[in-house]
Amino acid sequence: MDDFKSLQVLDRFKWIFQKFHIDYEIMRKILQLKLTMDGRRMPTVFNGSKVKKEGNQFIKSLWMYGFLGLLTLTPFLFLGDQFIFFTSIMMSILMFILMTLMVSDFSAVLLDVRDKNILHSKPISTITINAAKIVHILIYMFLLTGSFVAIPLVVSIFKHGIGFALIFAIEIIFIGCLVVVLTAFVYLFILRFFSGEKLKDIINYVQIFLSIAVIVGYQLVARSFEIVNLNISYTFDWWHLLLPPIWFGAPFELLLNKDFSFHIILLTIFAVLTPIFSVMLYIRLMPAFERNLVKLLSDSNRKKKKSRKIAKLWSKVLCRTTEEQTFFSFSSLMMKQERDLKLKIYPQLGIASIFPFIFLFNDIRMDSYEVAVTGNGFMFVYFSLLMIPNVVHMLKFSSNFKGHWIYRAAPIENEFSIYRSTLKACIVNYFLPVYFLVSAIFIYIFSVRIIPDLLIVLLVAIAMTLFAYVVLNGETYPFSNTHEHSQDISTFKVLGSILFIGIFALVHFFVLKITYGIYVYMILLVIGNVIGWRLVFPRKIKKIQVL
Amino acid sequence: MNNEKVLCLTDLTMSFGNKRVLNGVNLEVYKGQIIGYIGPNGAGKSTTVKIMLGLIEGYHGTIEIFGENIARGDFAYKRKIGYVPETAEVYDNLTACEYLTFTGELFGLSSVEAEKKAFNLMKEFNLESVFHQRLSSFSKGMRQKVLIISSLLHDPDLLFFDEPLSGLDANSVMIIKEILNQLAARGKTIFYSSHIMDVVEKISNRIILLVEGRVVADGTFAELQAQNKEGTLEEIFNQITGINNHKEIAEKFVGIVSEGSNHG
Repeated sequence: MDDFKSLQVLDRFKWIFQKFHIDYEIMRKILQLKLTMDGRRMPTVFNGSKVKKEGNQFIKSLWMYGFLGLLTLTPFLFLGDQFIFFTSIMMSILMFILMTLMVSDFSAVLLDVRDKNILHSKPISTITINAAKIVHILIYMFLLTGSFVAIPLVVSIFKHGIGFALIFAIEIIFIGCLVVVLTAFVYLFILRFFSGEKLKDIINYVQIFLSIAVIVGYQLVARSFEIVNLNISYTFDWWHLLLPPIWFGAPFELLLNKDFSFHIILLTIFAVLTPIFSVMLYIRLMPAFERNLVKLLSDSNRKKKKSRKIAKLWSKVLCRTTEEQTFFSFSSLMMKQERDLKLKIYPQLGIASIFPFIFLFNDIRMDSYEVAVTGNGFMFVYFSLLMIPNVVHMLKFSSNFKGHWIYRAAPIENEFSIYRSTLKACIVNYFLPVYFLVSAIFIYIFSVRIIPDLLIVLLVAIAMTLFAYVVLNGETYPFSNTHEHSQDISTFKVLGSILFIGIFALVHFFVLKITYGIYVYMILLVIGNVIGWRLVFPRKIKKIQVL
Repeated sequence: MNNEKVLCLTDLTMSFGNKRVLNGVNLEVYKGQIIGYIGPNGAGKSTTVKIMLGLIEGYHGTIEIFGENIARGDFAYKRKIGYVPETAEVYDNLTACEYLTFTGELFGLSSVEAEKKAFNLMKEFNLESVFHQRLSSFSKGMRQKVLIISSLLHDPDLLFFDEPLSGLDANSVMIIKEILNQLAARGKTIFYSSHIMDVVEKISNRIILLVEGRVVADGTFAELQAQNKEGTLEEIFNQITGINNHKEIAEKFVGIVSEGSNHG
């Protein structure tokens, strides 16, 4: 185990902990262990990127946050002298990012139930354990917030002076505390009324949302510089008291612009007192929180079966043998219910549904809207196909991969039915929703004339799925490998899939010039698909030769 | 007892890399037998079971199950087998209902039939209230019961139970023991591996002891007793495996445990 820098810094504050009768040495040991374990965890921001699992990934991800801070916060510093306006915007961005990060990456820390069995059974006082937990989270909050605001803070010194930066720095600490406590309260609330499984689902969705937001954020921030030149003056309304970001905007007005009006003072008081009170309340409610954590391992008292009529219908339509239908519904369930899988795949789906539009908007900005809608801009739909190789690749993995003994222990007539039905389920559950969404909007923009073209895109997608499967997966059972091995697929293969789509898009482009060419192309694609799927997944029973 | 041969292993050997796990296992099992398959950790018990199920490939020797050589690749024999693996590994993001229906369907039941049967069996274990909850929220014992149910849904003729009682409470253990007895009485064959000697002693009508990939003892409990002049199966086990210095080991162990107490 390494000795961590953060712990060495912490040593300086030993006396504070001892004053509260916390066994500092024990707390330090616990923290050291936890930090070591965290070194082996992946933060959400790095999701899907190619990072070797060595060292604390979190520390490495700080660069990302620094960059994110530069992009999202600094522009607002140049927004005029009405502090309360732009500082409130900055604070709301900061709170939003910290809150989502807290939920996505530190839920594991906050909701660690293993603590109960491992630590509470040892002769350690409860206050020490709780202190260790809080300090653990605070270390991360500190590092994360620190890297996030570092650049804006430096910039603010030059733009608005030392005083501004000082208030900024102090407020950040307050906001950090408030966010931790707020998250804990949200969890407490959910756990009080819902089951642990529900909470895990909610956390999962926040993680997915964050991953999408980061990617879309890059696109938006680049554009936000254009709209930033606004000059709005601030007028107070009573409901501003309910908005924490505005509280934190007030001290700047009070101290720097010497605005001593009543509402500014009131807002400032809120900014200072709420974090302090919330931390005190948190310490008070910690035992209740721990008690409710036990519920984390529970599922809701669901007595009824979820109706899965649509999945049933799909399986009947798409699968001929009962064996295939069985695997189809199994795969569909896995795709919808496995959190790690969803965390990896849903962001891809999000990107896939947004990409065509990003390109389309660029196109529209260059030409006029009227010109664009009569052109071939709908070809951008092909960009949503880029997710297919990644998604197909992910089907190999599961966090419960050890359960795959069942494939072998069961009398499976035709092994190909497993792969075939999983791919079908993948198209139905993952691709089709994206495709229908994008198509619907495109049809609205380009009118119904593009329906034949969209059908061709669908046929290409089906071919693409098969192609990706042959190249990337081969005959590996679905959900049978651990996520730890799920390295990103090589750039070479990604380029290959871009090339694959590119060729099809190009052919599509050419047949558009031929009268009725598109219908001939469609028929050819149907035939090609049928032959391809038959060849890859023969219906004949395959005998396995064993030595 | 019936003389129908259910299972026949001849010269079964298996190596993982350079490590030989099975050194020529020979075994014949007849219908209606409850076989207690015992041996020290790493003797190759689970490996034997996994090979018979086709979970592990690359063995040498022949395995015949229901008179069929399984190397021929005909999967059909698996339809009459039920398996409870040693480690309770399941796709635990599924609910009990979803998992059991899935496995039932794999073994040829219709989904309605599988679900109904699964529910009725769960009910007997008093688990009907959690039927639609995810397996990840189940305790070890509950999971084990789900696995036992999943192995029996299709009414198999041959059962491989690898430590089926781990995590179960005393009450459930009694129920499972009785279930095994009654299944055997109906002509099912049960291949049962465990480390809990007194359970094996009580329920098995034939005991096979595996040491270092070889069968070193095979017979009813009474036969083993006659050969070894020892009381319980546990003592026989220790005698055959050649570990009779358990007292010395324990003494040393306790010695190390209390070593530091002088300082405290």
